Amino acid sequence: MLLSLITFLPVVFALIILAVPEEKYVRPTALVLGVGQFLLSLLVFKDFDPSSAALQLVEKTEWVRSAGINYFLGIDGISLWLVILSTFLVPLIVLGSWTAIDKKVKGFHVCLFLLQTTMIGTFLAMDAILFYVFFEASLIPMYYMVGIWGGARRIYASMKFFIYTMLGSVLMLVSIITLMGMTKQMTGQMSASLLDFYNLDIPFVAGTMFSTQSLLFFAFCIAFAIKVPLFPFHTWLPDAHVEAPTPGSVILAGVMLKMGTYGFVRMALPIFPEATEYWAWLFFSLGVIGIIYGALVAMVQPDIKKLVAYSSVSHMGYIILGIFAMNVQGISGGIYQMLNHGISTGALFFLVGMIYEKTHTRKISDYGGLAPAAPLFTILFIIVTMSSIAVPMTNGFVGEFLILTGTFMANKAFAYVAVLGVILAAAYMLWMVKRVFFGAAGKVVNEFAEKNVNLDISKREFAVMAPLIVLIFWMGLFPNHFLSWSEVSINHLVKNKTSYQLQVLNNDQKSAVTAQTKSK
Amino acid sequence: MELSFGWNDVFLVSPAIVLFLFSLLPVFLKVINGNKADSLFTSYGVSLIGLFVAAGFSVAVVFRQILEGGSQLAFSEALVMDGLSSFASLMVIAITIFALLLSRDSLALKGELFSEFCFLLLNAAVGMMIVAWSNDLILTFIGIEMMSLCLYIMIAMSHEPIFSKESAFKYFVLGSFASAILLYGMAFLYGATGSTYLPDISEMAAEMVLTHRIFIIGILFTLVGFVFKVAIVPFHAWTPDVYQGSPTSITAFMATGVKVVVFIALIRFMLTDFVLTPDSVISQVLQWLAVITMVVGNFVAIKQDNLKRMLAYSSISHSGYILVGLIAASLPGSQVEGVSAVLFYSLSYAVMTIGSFAVVALFEKHHDTQVNINDLKGLSSSNPYVAFSLTAILISLAGIPPTIGFFGKFFIFSSAIKQGLYWITIWGVISSVVSVYYYLRPVVYMYMKEAEAGQEMMLRDDAPSTKFTIFFASLFVIIAGLLSQLFYDLVGHSVMTLF
Repeated sequence: MLLSLITFLPVVFALIILAVPEEKYVRPTALVLGVGQFLLSLLVFKDFDPSSAALQLVEKTEWVRSAGINYFLGIDGISLWLVILSTFLVPLIVLGSWTAIDKKVKGFHVCLFLLQTTMIGTFLAMDAILFYVFFEASLIPMYYMVGIWGGARRIYASMKFFIYTMLGSVLMLVSIITLMGMTKQMTGQMSASLLDFYNLDIPFVAGTMFSTQSLLFFAFCIAFAIKVPLFPFHTWLPDAHVEAPTPGSVILAGVMLKMGTYGFVRMALPIFPEATEYWAWLFFSLGVIGIIYGALVAMVQPDIKKLVAYSSVSHMGYIILGIFAMNVQGISGGIYQMLNHGISTGALFFLVGMIYEKTHTRKISDYGGLAPAAPLFTILFIIVTMSSIAVPMTNGFVGEFLILTGTFMANKAFAYVAVLGVILAAAYMLWMVKRVFFGAAGKVVNEFAEKNVNLDISKREFAVMAPLIVLIFWMGLFPNHFLSWSEVSINHLVKNKTSYQLQVLNNDQKSAVTAQTKSK
Repeated sequence: MELSFGWNDVFLVSPAIVLFLFSLLPVFLKVINGNKADSLFTSYGVSLIGLFVAAGFSVAVVFRQILEGGSQLAFSEALVMDGLSSFASLMVIAITIFALLLSRDSLALKGELFSEFCFLLLNAAVGMMIVAWSNDLILTFIGIEMMSLCLYIMIAMSHEPIFSKESAFKYFVLGSFASAILLYGMAFLYGATGSTYLPDISEMAAEMVLTHRIFIIGILFTLVGFVFKVAIVPFHAWTPDVYQGSPTSITAFMATGVKVVVFIALIRFMLTDFVLTPDSVISQVLQWLAVITMVVGNFVAIKQDNLKRMLAYSSISHSGYILVGLIAASLPGSQVEGVSAVLFYSLSYAVMTIGSFAVVALFEKHHDTQVNINDLKGLSSSNPYVAFSLTAILISLAGIPPTIGFFGKFFIFSSAIKQGLYWITIWGVISSVVSVYYYLRPVVYMYMKEAEAGQEMMLRDDAPSTKFTIFFASLFVIIAGLLSQLFYDLVGHSVMTLF
């Protein structure tokens, strides 16, 4: 019941927001509801058993019986933190967009809560079609968010985002339907459950794209690679980020990109083990190209937000690298880095949004010498930058270190190149920081000094940043507080990579029940 | 052949008889009134009552089928009353009710000829039922002609002076041409098999399709005649003009009713076992037609600025999707899934199409209004409920979950994949991605662009039954999407009587 509640409560919230009579009460209501939802989601920790790799808090009801589609939710160490991340960011976004969203306030919060439902649903769904429904439905609120509250080229950006993402996911749908047909051949009963997909033995021929397993694998991977986005499918991302309003960028970078990487871990790896192993080199290469390319392009961006967007491409490359290393370090690092990226890039987008709201420019060349004018803002920005470029003691370090360790163990050559990315990241971020915050006072700073307007952040903005800063250090200093919850699941995934199966933990009896044993 | 029939036959076709009798009433009452302008009740009210009575009789027929089990034959086996027929009757009645609701509000149809219009509408519905029920090609032809003739006149009756006359004439000429081809094909089939009775053809088809050239030509011509009526590319050229020029309520009626029943007739025709493998010539031809239809329909729709024309092209592409299901239905091994998918899709398509044309109707403040997509500017501020409803319908048309449109496509493509028809499936899903572009364009105008002050397009506020139709359709696409098992079961029950 808890998982359904977490998933669908935001829909109820959206209806409550619609019923709020006056626009000025919308934001406080949304904030209270968002915080409540976050606290509710923390209840998961009470019932979650980190010592078991099995699927927990499972809910399963028939949905479309004739096609074997179930309403099937479950949580394990892989999805746990992503769900918490989704509920954690939403109240911050409500608070962070307090003044940034000035039109159709009601509609915005309705979109936000609907988006939250689809995101949480994506992470919790253990039925492929249910997953697809959430995965695809998440496009609609995001489309509105970019298209209504976005910048000048918002319509182009939102349309590109929608069509690009959908193009990938329909191929995944074809692949899912094929897999459902295979479950029917194997068990006699059509099923879209991921647990049944894990048990499938899909014919694989090395050396060719055109074997069943490779084709299905790539259909899934293209869908996820577009979402991640992995080079060369990343072109929608800078457009979407630059045109999206600040809260839209935060949620896009913070959670939606993780749907892609989560999809890799949850589906591509365990369902297609041979293909994953065989094609790992391809994803290593694309990941590494993404890291270097994203960093190089970020370096020359004149626009701060676009720089952060390209840094996302670079960071997501690391996550892919970690996942395809297929060892405990790599995957732990990948999952940790998903959270880190959500927090640090989310925080960066918040900060860029805060300054943009005051100055209405994001061009680096307009700034300079911001540090004396906005000291607190500068401190926060630099802390977040440190997290983003993985300085020790911050969360980014733990994630990237684990990923690089994992990559070294899997393939040294790629690891050597990937390490270059760390240096490049430091280069583009610090260079940007230098140009924006230090040096002679730039156009913007002078302008505001003349008008005698404070450029520093307000109490509300500080309240948005404070939890993120706390998390940056908490996750950097005590990674085990977080990783210990996922450890068993990740170990289970790595140990059984060729014969992965997930058991269902029956919560009433607290005993593991084997779902189905693999017939090999 | 003995020509006799009993009460049982009459009972089985009672929905059609009831509709026909009720269709006479509006005209009859008008004459009694001395040919003066008729009251709303004698035309609209009486027709509506007739439709509901017919629905009651259809339900009675369904109960009888359940009690006696399986399909029943009427009138020397020329009509077959199975689950498919009952599904068709109920669909046709529902579609006609909505068409009548929309027509009542339509300014293009208002005036003293409304009783004649009601007569034609109900008779078109009778024709549709006959098409869906017939077990004999000649009867199918009669049904198609009956429904088409009524439609030609109804289109021409519009007060709109230019487009409607053009489209009526175009539809009439091309429709007659297609009917001729259909009849020509049937003549070939009769020549080859000695019968127009579908079960007779079915007995010989599997063998003849391999050896008998005349038979194959007959099949192909007959198929061409059928696919003309459902606007499969390259036999679609009439669709955009006719849909645009017709009164919107009639467009909705045509785009749904005609397609649903002709597809049901096609199911009956295709189940005569002349398609044996996916590689056979006939199946290959159909597969290519399906792919071309999906691609052309969706790509051409992108360039349309007139909302009705865009919906016309979208309806062409939807015919392509249904044809994919039909191909699966014609192949041994996936017949149940294929037929169920086709029926499920027809149901969802009918609701979505009626809903979307109802929105168009809401814009028509004059009898000759042409609605362009940029007229929708700022609709979300002025009419949030209509904007939301249209969005839900468009999202469903685009096949995005969790709407019924998604499950319709899901079942269609599942049945195709079951036959290993990956290539049409991939073309299908890719063209449905393309369709997202034009389905979201109205959304862009409604939500993301504001109308300049004084330029807002005002909606009609005197059209309660149109609004009811819109809200019904939008709620249906969402709720039925979540409860798709329920509707799939309903469809499944009608399919079960076929095999």
